[in-house]
Amino acid sequence: MNTFVEMLSPGFLLREALIGSVLVGCLCPLMGVYFVLRRMIFLGVALPQVSAAGIALAFLVYRMLIGQHQHFVPSERWLAMLGSLSCTFVGLLVLAALARHRETVEARIGITYAIAAAATLLFLALDPAAEAHMVNLLKGDILATTGPSLTLMAGVFGAVALLLVVCRKEFLLVSFDRDLAVVFGKHAGLWDSLLYLMIGVTISLGVMTAGPMVTFGFLVIPPLTARIITRRMLTFSLTAAGLGAITAFAGFYCAYRFDLPLGPAEVALASLVLAIVAVTRGLLRVLGRWQAA
Amino acid sequence: MPDTLLTLRNVSLGYDGQVVLERLSFVVEGGECLALVGPNGAGKTTLLRGILGLIPVLAGQIEYGFDRSTSPPGYVPQRDTLDPIFPLTVFEVVLMGTYGRLALLRPVGRRQRQLAADCLERVGLADLAHRPFWALSGGQKQRVLIARALAVEPHILLLDEPTAGVDPGATTIIMDLIAQLNRDQSITVVLVSHHLRLVRSLVHSVVWVEDGCASKGATEVMLAPERIMELFGPLRGTE
Repeated sequence: MNTFVEMLSPGFLLREALIGSVLVGCLCPLMGVYFVLRRMIFLGVALPQVSAAGIALAFLVYRMLIGQHQHFVPSERWLAMLGSLSCTFVGLLVLAALARHRETVEARIGITYAIAAAATLLFLALDPAAEAHMVNLLKGDILATTGPSLTLMAGVFGAVALLLVVCRKEFLLVSFDRDLAVVFGKHAGLWDSLLYLMIGVTISLGVMTAGPMVTFGFLVIPPLTARIITRRMLTFSLTAAGLGAITAFAGFYCAYRFDLPLGPAEVALASLVLAIVAVTRGLLRVLGRWQAA
Repeated sequence: MPDTLLTLRNVSLGYDGQVVLERLSFVVEGGECLALVGPNGAGKTTLLRGILGLIPVLAGQIEYGFDRSTSPPGYVPQRDTLDPIFPLTVFEVVLMGTYGRLALLRPVGRRQRQLAADCLERVGLADLAHRPFWALSGGQKQRVLIARALAVEPHILLLDEPTAGVDPGATTIIMDLIAQLNRDQSITVVLVSHHLRLVRSLVHSVVWVEDGCASKGATEVMLAPERIMELFGPLRGTE
């Protein structure tokens, strides 16, 4: 209980990290709702890795063209963001454009993941200035969250969340019944691109803040949990975001209280919630059938 | 309602530049009930998708007797094309039909909700409004999709195989509903179907699609028993 109170106190040493963690836990599932509904879950494995490769590439290109960059300055984060976002967006567009060839979709995503993972390490190896700090940036170090980076994250995440709310009618229509959207004269391709851009921004910032594993985990696990217990789109989205935020907070608590690595603790907790919900739902179904018989 | 709702002039349609249907010309008058029929793979759905603007017109032109941007057509797809992963209630599905006339980013309001409720009432499913869409039977889903198309407040209703995979009882209900919408509410209907027997008792005219061509005529001529016998042999069951 003391730990819980300590975490909520204004003077908590890791306050920025805690808020950052909850923000990632809230926004990634909100975006992940469309990942799950559009059956893009496998993309969620590859894209955070592509994002990490983009960060490494941005630093390498910067060093080759301009020179050594400075660590722990705001421009470093912007550079990482630029590399991450451009690579994620391009990767997403290419994979989405090829998505209609459904028979090889898993193979393409698997290859993308392998290439991105290898490229990340190669770009780091080619950059002699690559240091442990940069590796942390690639893996995402939520404990290193600072006030300015938290402000950036809150601003970007706020804009993405606002767009999701304002454009929910268009995003739902294009995702659920693309043909009807076209019949209604909606520019389905443009709406897809906007959605992909928002996914790219979320993944980029998520990877830089919390790393590929946490980003993928929160993109997919809370929406899958919410899908089991909700029947409407609005409650689905809100439940996914709420579950993500709560498990991120609870994961932070567990990591802090029991001295565990933060990212794995959060993902493990989110998975545990999914398992409990799925098993409970299965048992209730069996019970319902048994009572009906 | 305009006199002529659709005019096809030497229209060619196909996919990836490959022509499936060539030089089609016919008109659809306001209040007409028309069926696109023909053998499997003849291009009935391609023709419907061309009329809807879902595939590009390779040659010729399609003219609409109404402003498509402010008054889109009502479209009922085959229900299997929709993904059951979406958590949607019956009401939410019908409400989607109102998006057709809503301006960009404008939220759904009281008028749209009332319209959706009215459309559900018209197809006789008002009491299922808050049920999950995917929990319904095939026939009920199809009626919900018809309600969604009505929520567009369309001049013309285009239906792709509205009775595919539906049991005989539900098929009769759906066909009666379509007939009633055409007869009592003067909604022009264009439907794709391979149920020749059902279509014969429902529609005024038929577009016969075969071998990349299409010809239009009165139902009693196009689906005359001797013509069908000549094409398919004796009709069995619902065929």
